[in-house]
This record gives sequence, C-alpha cells and structure tokens, in this order.
Amino acid sequence: MKKTIKFSINGTKVQQEVLPAYLLIDVIRDGLGLRGTKPGCLEGECGACTVLIDGLAVNSCLYLAVNADGKEVTTIEGLISGPDFSLDPVQQAMVDFGAVQCGFCTSGMVMSIKGFYDECVSAQIQPNREQIKKGLEGNLCRCTGYKKIIDAVESLFEEA
Amino acid sequence: MNFEMITPRTTGELLQALANNQGSRVRIGAGYTDLILELKGLKCEETPLVINLADLTDPKFTHIEKTDAGIRLGALVTAGKVIIDASIQTELPVLCKAASELGSRQLRHRATLGGNLCTASPAGDIAAALVALEARCEILSADGTLRTLALTDFLVGVRKTALRQDEVLQSVFIPTRKSINKHLLSDFLKVGTRRSMEIAVVSLAYQFELDAEEIIRHAGIAIGSVAPTVKFVSAAGEFLVGKKFSSIGAVAADKFAAMVCAEATPISDIRASAWYRREVLYNISRGIFDK
Repeated sequence: MKKTIKFSINGTKVQQEVLPAYLLIDVIRDGLGLRGTKPGCLEGECGACTVLIDGLAVNSCLYLAVNADGKEVTTIEGLISGPDFSLDPVQQAMVDFGAVQCGFCTSGMVMSIKGFYDECVSAQIQPNREQIKKGLEGNLCRCTGYKKIIDAVESLFEEA
Repeated sequence: MNFEMITPRTTGELLQALANNQGSRVRIGAGYTDLILELKGLKCEETPLVINLADLTDPKFTHIEKTDAGIRLGALVTAGKVIIDASIQTELPVLCKAASELGSRQLRHRATLGGNLCTASPAGDIAAALVALEARCEILSADGTLRTLALTDFLVGVRKTALRQDEVLQSVFIPTRKSINKHLLSDFLKVGTRRSMEIAVVSLAYQFELDAEEIIRHAGIAIGSVAPTVKFVSAAGEFLVGKKFSSIGAVAADKFAAMVCAEATPISDIRASAWYRREVLYNISRGIFDK
C-alpha cells in the first residue's frame, strides 16, 4: 500500500507516493529526477549516495523513503546557490585542490564533507588530518588516492 | 525487495503491533543499516512485515538517561549519539570508543544500539563494549511487562537472542559501580584487514577501574569474533583484580593473555583462520600492559 510522504528537498517542499520498500536514493533520482546522488555499491559501503538528512550525512541507499517524511533532505544539487550558481565552499575547495578525477564518488564525498564540516563547526572542533580521514571513512574514491580530497578539507578548516 | 510495514508512534501502538503480529515474517526496523540488506536478500513465500520504530518518540527508547544508579541507554540511541554524549565519554569510555569504530560516519548516524545487540553478531562492536560493562537488557513484552536480563544471557548464539516473538528490546542499563577515587583505563581494540568500515576479525573491549594507588579494583573484559557470541571473560578479569597496573610484568601479562584465550573458541572462515584469531587475541590481550 502506497503512502504519501512530504519532505523538504534542498529547501523545496515536495510530496511523493511511496511503497514501504522504496529507498530514498530511488525517490531522489527517479521520483524527483535529481541524478547527482550516485548509486554505487547500494549496501552502505562506498558512500557515493550520501545525502544530508536534517544536517547529518547518511547513505540514501540504506534509508527508507517513508522515514524521510517530515525531514529536510539536502543533495548535491542543494549546495549550489544564487542566480549565478555559486559553488558551496566545500565544492570550491574540491575544485581548487584538483580533488576530482572521474567524479563518480564526488557528490557523495562532497556531501560527507559538508555534513562533517558543519558538525565540526557547531561543536567547535578543529579536526586534525587523522580525524578528517576518519570523518570520510565511509566514502570510497578509486582515482585520487584521497590526498587531494583531504588537503581540500583541511583548507576549509584553515580558512575558518 | 518487498515488505509490509507498521509504524507505531507510541509505545502503546508498538505493544499492539507486537501482540497482533508474530512469527518468522516479522522484523523490527530501527536504523536499517543491516535490515535493508537482509530484506533485499530474502527469498521467502510470505511477504515480510517490518515494525518500523523510526517514529517512536518514547524517551525510554530514544534517550540516554543518567541517574545515581547508573546510565540507561534507549535501544534507538544511535552510535553517533553515544560518541558525543558527555556522560558516556567520562564514565563508559569503552562504549564511546567501540561506537566510534563501528562502520562509517554515515552508518553511525543511523545504526542503533538496539540493532547492534539484536543482530547478535559475534563481531558486534557496541555489543562487545556493553558486555565488558556488564550491561543489563530491559525487554518490553506485548502485555506491557518489563523484564531484565544480563546481556550475556541475551546473546545466545550467532544471530540469536533470548528475545521472544512478542518482545522488543527497550533499553540497556549499566549500573554505576560505587568506588572512591577511581580512574578508568579502557580501550576497544578491533583488528581487521583494514581500518575503516571493517567487521572485526578479533575484538577486545575492556574497562578497568583503578584506585588512587593504581590497584585494579574491577576489570570488565569482553572478546568478539572468537566465539558464537561476544563473551565476557571473567576469570582473566578476576586475575587482574588486586594487582597494581604498572607493576604487571611479562609473566603476569602472558598468564592474563592465556586466560583470555582460554575462553575463545574461534572458527576459520572467509575472513580469518582460527589459528590467526587466537594468535591475534593473545597479542592484543598481552599488549594492554605494554603501554
């Protein structure tokens, strides 16, 4: 039996008809047409599908769509702002440090970094390099070797 | 993947759901980090029914409560909440460390303490810490009665718990140990083939209470992935009680490690051989005293 869920996606209120077994990643990609969120392993291992729910990074492949009812969901598309499509500081740092190669992991990686950065800022934590690596342990990247990604994250905290 | 779902909002509705729905097709969903994968792989004739606890707001299930008697953690408390809780950081550091070693940041935001226990994996990270802390499970039955059971009795086998079909794990309780001038020494050691997103090949959780003279007054120790369940190793813990931590030398450390290993009954599987697990357990147990 389908259920109507209402939630906010990137600041816009939406409504979807979902079955209990629908996964959030499918509702985001196929129901709402936002294809920036990537399906990778579909078992919570790779992090490509990471989105923020009420500000916390989660794997959208392991999140039931019905449980998004009433929540605020942020995807990679929600990080761009303004009429000139300005990049979020996290995205800008990834560009500046050349931390993107094939790009498949990038949206999930950026969402993880965004969630991690916001949580650190609100808890007033200045993470060291090891803590940054630990914060991103749920995101696999097969191209970069991670160094440039971690450099990009470090730069965010240096500026702050 | 296909299943039906009931989403209770109150404990009353949950008890009703438990009373009306029993049998092998019923599963309880909390953080879903394991359950979705299980439901995806399920090939059964009957459509599974998930009792979805996501909307349950009863603080007995969702909160961390500290009283003079001890700390009570609701079954729906996530690993992420455990890590940032000030009273757990100071009083139950072994639990804090184990929760931070679980999965990834994304999974820790969703994975619940109750899920980690009810999955009853011999490799459960949170389970190992809670066994070391001698936690008690508080189990709610469909008729509204609450029973408590030592966690070591709750975990009965690989993926098997003592929960009956009309029961749900509400919370765990860790009694405060009354002692003066205590300081804690603890760690959760998890050995796997890599450092992140790993299922333990061997794990060791311990929390020692030391008095002002560094004498060990209590030692709670648990081992994971070396038996059908996480195990509490009481003999090795009792061996340490009364000894001064800094004066435990090579002979005593060897004896301690041998006593820990005596409680292990590891198997060989895809992740490691029984021999390797035993060697690793010996070395990490002994290593506690190398610091």
